[in-house]
Amino acid sequence: MTSAAAFYRRIDDALANTRVRQALASTMTRLADRRTDALASLPDSDALRDQARRIRAHTIAHLDRYLETFATNAEARGCRIHWAPTAADATRIVVEIAREAGITLAVKSKSMVTEEIELNAALEAAGVRVVETDLGEFVVQVGEDRPSHIIAPIVHRRREDVARLFQEKLGARPEEVADVAAITAFARRTLRRDFLQAGMGISGVNMAVADSGSVCLVTNEGNGRLTTTLPRVHVAVMGLERVVPTAADLGVLLQLLARSATGQALSVYTNVISGPRRPAGSGSPNAGEPDGPDAIHVVIVDNGRTKMLDGPLAEMLYCIRCGACLNVCPVYRHIGGHAYGGVYPGPMGAVVSPGQMGLDAWSELPQASSLCGACRDVCPVRIDLPRLLLTLRAQAAERELTPWWLRLGMPLYAAVATRPALYQWLGSMAARVAHGVARGGWVRRLPGPLAGWTASRDFPAPARRSFLQSYEERRGRTERPS
Amino acid sequence: MTPPKDQVLGAIRHSLRRAVLPGAEATPPRTARVAPADRPALLRQFEQALVALTGHVHHAASAGEAADIIAAVAAEHGARTFLSWDGGELGCDGLLEALASRHLTRVAYDLAFDAAQRAGAVPGLGDVILGLTGSDAAIADAGAIVLVSGPGRGRLASLLPPVHVALVSASRIHPTLPDLLADHPELVARGANLVVIAGPSRTADIEMTLTHGVHGPKHLHVILMP
Repeated sequence: MTSAAAFYRRIDDALANTRVRQALASTMTRLADRRTDALASLPDSDALRDQARRIRAHTIAHLDRYLETFATNAEARGCRIHWAPTAADATRIVVEIAREAGITLAVKSKSMVTEEIELNAALEAAGVRVVETDLGEFVVQVGEDRPSHIIAPIVHRRREDVARLFQEKLGARPEEVADVAAITAFARRTLRRDFLQAGMGISGVNMAVADSGSVCLVTNEGNGRLTTTLPRVHVAVMGLERVVPTAADLGVLLQLLARSATGQALSVYTNVISGPRRPAGSGSPNAGEPDGPDAIHVVIVDNGRTKMLDGPLAEMLYCIRCGACLNVCPVYRHIGGHAYGGVYPGPMGAVVSPGQMGLDAWSELPQASSLCGACRDVCPVRIDLPRLLLTLRAQAAERELTPWWLRLGMPLYAAVATRPALYQWLGSMAARVAHGVARGGWVRRLPGPLAGWTASRDFPAPARRSFLQSYEERRGRTERPS
Repeated sequence: MTPPKDQVLGAIRHSLRRAVLPGAEATPPRTARVAPADRPALLRQFEQALVALTGHVHHAASAGEAADIIAAVAAEHGARTFLSWDGGELGCDGLLEALASRHLTRVAYDLAFDAAQRAGAVPGLGDVILGLTGSDAAIADAGAIVLVSGPGRGRLASLLPPVHVALVSASRIHPTLPDLLADHPELVARGANLVVIAGPSRTADIEMTLTHGVHGPKHLHVILMP
């Protein structure tokens, strides 16, 4: 099966699941509304977004410099910095860290880049048990599922699904999964045991601060803090674009991140980490702290990001991963995250997956957009997503990755549309045929390659007279001398 | 073979030559400032925002008053012991002594750098019900408090127990997080950790149903001190 055929199969599956579709639509509406309210509560959200965009644009334009500054300063605070050109390099590095530290259990806070490099599988293969601790990601892991939203990973699951899963896989008693509060308490108890025993904590990085050498991660549940405080080794995996110059810049982006994602003013925990603790009397700024990790490793991952930077898609690296573009996208709201196939769904995913991994496997994703521009309107850093999607479509067309009927159809259409007489004659013929088969003003089934259009909806029968005919008639009337 | 650092930085430099980066300026942008409001207005905003997050706000003028509030919270949750910052770090002289006289016992800890010793000590801290900390700043628009780690300022006190009580000095209120970080950029790296806490731990992962206390504290009490 071609990748396009697989994509359409996933879309059909998603559309057939009415329950998930309804849940998705209502959740996305709520998230989008909350975002609108949260931005409206700011004194001047437009100016703040302009500022955020300038910060991201400037940083990416000087990414080599800021990344190197970050690495130097983080090392000065006692972090070990690792550079991973590929996903395989990144997983090998983390596995090696675990092996050297003698780790058998690692707790993990939600991180899309670790999904991207498939870190869990690599660690499990090396004999390290990995436990996802974000409630949603925990459910995903227990259910051997995949996240369907970058912020709300189990938006496709019902409470009853989670309850049954916890009973079957974790031996929860019925009263322990009676409602959402009980399920949450059960997860807390289960995961707390792992937190207290794990030797390694693995996190992503929302933003790194160059001039202080700090990494910042935000969570609502507190699992991000536990992951980076209790285990003696902390491994932070970051995409190489997640850096900002200063703490003040971090403040500007944080003022928009949670508002855009969930409508909160701030996430519950904004956790900024500047190196491991150091023994008392060591002269380090981190000397003598009673808790926190003794070692921090930061793994800086490329995995196709520099490929995306090389050319017209580079603007995508401004992204701060808030998920707002998913919530407003009419396509995402219908088909959900799994249909996109990759780790990153929605409009941002339709650019990131082909941008980082190449168009060959992902050429159909940029087609899954109506180019309505809602994603650009809500983006906190004003990424012109429709432009990037169109760029990818053009690239796919140039490389003949588009479907045959599109490659054949477009020149055919151009040939007709540039010959007015032919266009009008074919138009009137098509209208006559359409009227012949229309019932009650609607065409139920179009012929040949157009059948796809009517597979899930009716086509309106065209007007009796074409616009041009009416136009000519009216002009004739008004210009007639009285 | 090229070291991986040079590989990655080299790839970035190579790509930057053809990167299309709309809006990119050569100089770093300056952070715009919010016009400062007066302190009473900021405190009102802070209290409203924190209460909206289901946090609790108390007022105390002395160590004795603060100890009474903490003792009442402890009694409500059946706590007899607590994790805490050192007395000198709480910003409220005599508070630990006042709590001791109210029969609350501090569980002191300092995790060992030895892996085995450390692994042995951590689980025992998991049963403590109440955590007590000071704070370094408060943020009005988010109802948030800011804690910087350091000697005598453990992170677990605001993290492991299901109840967190934080002392906040009313003089350290800032309008927004961007304002705080623009005014005090040194805060982020003063210790190994800066954490901004906006309300009790929460999740809405299951059917968007808001639930508190999933991993961090379920209950957050802030005691505002003059």
